[in-house]
Amino acid sequence: MNACASVFQQAATEYIDRLSNCEGEWLTEQRQAATQRFAELGFPHAGLEAWRYTSIEGLLQQDFKITHRTQAFLHHEMIQQFLGEPVAARLVFVDGIYQPNLSVHTGQTGLSVGSLHAAMAAGDRSVLRGVGSLSGIGDHGFAALNMATLQDGAVIQVSTGVAIRQPIELLHMATKGLSGQVQHTRHRVVLEAGASVNLVERYLSLDSESNYFNNMVCEISLGEGASLVHQRAQEESLTAYHLCDVHLDIQGDAHYQGVNAALGGAWSRTTFHARFVGEGANCELDGLYLAGEGQLTDFHLNVDHSVAHCESRENFKGILYGAGKAVFDGLIHVREQAQKSQAHLYNANLMLSRRAEVDTKPQLVILADDVKCSHGTTVGQLDDQALFYLRSRGLDKDQAKRLLCLGFTNEIVDRFQSEYLRDHLREEIVKRMSYERQV
Amino acid sequence: MLSIKNLCASVDGKAILNGINLEVKADEVHAIMGPNGSGKSTLAHILSGRGGYTVSDGEVHYFGQNLLDLETEERAHKGVFLAMQYPVELPGVNNMTFLRESMNAIRKARGEAEIDAVSFMKRVRHRAKQVKLDEKLLKRSVNAGFSGGEKKRNEILQMMMLEPQLAILDETDSGLDIDALRTIADGVNLLRSPDRALIVVTHYQRLLDYIEPDFVHVLASGRIIRSGGKELALELEEKGYEWLLEGAAA
Ligand SMILES: Nc1ncnc2c1ncn2[C@@H]1O[C@H](COP(=O)(O)OP(=O)(O)OP(=O)(O)O)[C@@H](O)[C@H]1O
Ligand SMILES: [Mg+2]
Repeated sequence: MNACASVFQQAATEYIDRLSNCEGEWLTEQRQAATQRFAELGFPHAGLEAWRYTSIEGLLQQDFKITHRTQAFLHHEMIQQFLGEPVAARLVFVDGIYQPNLSVHTGQTGLSVGSLHAAMAAGDRSVLRGVGSLSGIGDHGFAALNMATLQDGAVIQVSTGVAIRQPIELLHMATKGLSGQVQHTRHRVVLEAGASVNLVERYLSLDSESNYFNNMVCEISLGEGASLVHQRAQEESLTAYHLCDVHLDIQGDAHYQGVNAALGGAWSRTTFHARFVGEGANCELDGLYLAGEGQLTDFHLNVDHSVAHCESRENFKGILYGAGKAVFDGLIHVREQAQKSQAHLYNANLMLSRRAEVDTKPQLVILADDVKCSHGTTVGQLDDQALFYLRSRGLDKDQAKRLLCLGFTNEIVDRFQSEYLRDHLREEIVKRMSYERQV
Repeated sequence: MLSIKNLCASVDGKAILNGINLEVKADEVHAIMGPNGSGKSTLAHILSGRGGYTVSDGEVHYFGQNLLDLETEERAHKGVFLAMQYPVELPGVNNMTFLRESMNAIRKARGEAEIDAVSFMKRVRHRAKQVKLDEKLLKRSVNAGFSGGEKKRNEILQMMMLEPQLAILDETDSGLDIDALRTIADGVNLLRSPDRALIVVTHYQRLLDYIEPDFVHVLASGRIIRSGGKELALELEEKGYEWLLEGAAA
């Protein structure tokens, strides 16, 4: 174990020791086991296949501190500008801490929302039992650290057959005060059989230069025939670090439609572990990423067809410019018994500069023989003919480029159900592509 | 309006245009005909500023200005428009957005105010009707998955929206059914005015029945080997190019 890891281990141990009874006791065993796991694993390194192209050197150099924060404060006006469409519930987290005064809950029957911190304080066993039920205590050092020192998060439960029409939003705001720190948030979402929900997750920085590390885990269970629309937009500051492991268990006939936008962060990595546990289920996952100067963005997908008659489709598109770097690793595993599976995996990258880099690795491991599977990857540049066409209609080079970049990402942006997010993301993409011209 | 003098151009060292001379004045329609591969599209591309060609000799003046010095978009701002033989597909780029941005870019370059959303919609609907372009196509990605005829109609729609002074139509009639040909010709004729000029590249005399040319030029091996009035097109229809090519070689 290197020096840096032992500092973190020490900090985690101290963190656990310092927890007040109400926060600590219910999860103490898991926390200690996770600290032990971290001691064994240490930080991920390039020797591990899953981390080969995603260096964490820069992250470790930041020397982020694990602190036990109990307070963060924001005025309502500060978040006003980030609010879009009306919601069934909004849980606001400021620097990782749930803010009841900024949050809303329309009190719909069959929808229960709350914070993990409250569940810990109340010793709500039904919630706490679910913590780590999908992720385990951590399959890499960061995940283990999250389990060891998790502080807060959202707990969402939707009862059997209940359809929540308006979105449930998790709004994560980072303030300047979070700089220099790592914070461990963990969400737990449970949709009982036949429930349907539209979940929005947003990650925003109030300070464009704040430098912090969001180390998150999200555990989602979809009951039989449940349906989840999951819209995620990561727009951390360009100096922040963002890591999120999403674990998904999908029961029979359930439907998951996820769409991701990763625009921010000096370093950002999102991992999806999707597991089909009942037949007839469907998983659609789309994503877009932009990475420019000084940015690394990483998506790791791991879709496990462990039962028959399920369908999955993944489509990720990225624009790389400046010295931006992207990593895409999509693994679809179709097990022997998973006959009649359908799995399609695509990744396309648009390179706007010679200095940009992408490491893309789509993989299909197919052990069943009666399946329909495909995968494809492209790494390309803007089409000269298309540029000429646009310019011949009066657009200058930059406008033409922006329009083509928007066109490239539109397919993914259109997967966002929220009109507000679609418009917002298009604006952000245009802004980023305008900035790109100057570097 | 347009004056081309001894234009010579090549691609990758291969000479394609070998001394083109052409004078186009306002209110004129020039038809350019000629065998496949003779350089018609190349000429159209060079006039609109497409890269990849080396101009080794000659000059092109447009309203007294050296056209070849201008960027592609500057030419568009000054009223040059090319309806392409093979319109490009732009997946993800909304046709309507594209049209509006083009219009506004040109207006802006001319120091005019941007067109407001309502007037734009009105105009685009009106024009789409004139070229019988299904309104659904306005909401789709530019040319993506359009049929051959739909792409050509879309080119003409763009031309009608942008109202160029010098429009070059490169085989806009190819691949069109008879009714579509008529519609497109009607559209083009609507745009004719004393301060506009047209260069129509075509293989077929039929289009010229609808868009009556003042001059017909035959391009072969990168040279204009014969120019005449509209009766030349009829003669070509009847006799083909052979007799001219022989004459030119001699
Ligand atoms: N980018 C290029 N690289 C190589 N050769 C080219 C290129 N562009 C044009 N040419 C060649 O130049 C010649 C003229 O082509 P052009 O497209 O101008 O012909 P055209 O008269 O428009 O023919 P058509 O009637 O078939 O449309 C052809 O031999 C063509 O192959
Ligand atoms: Mg041609």
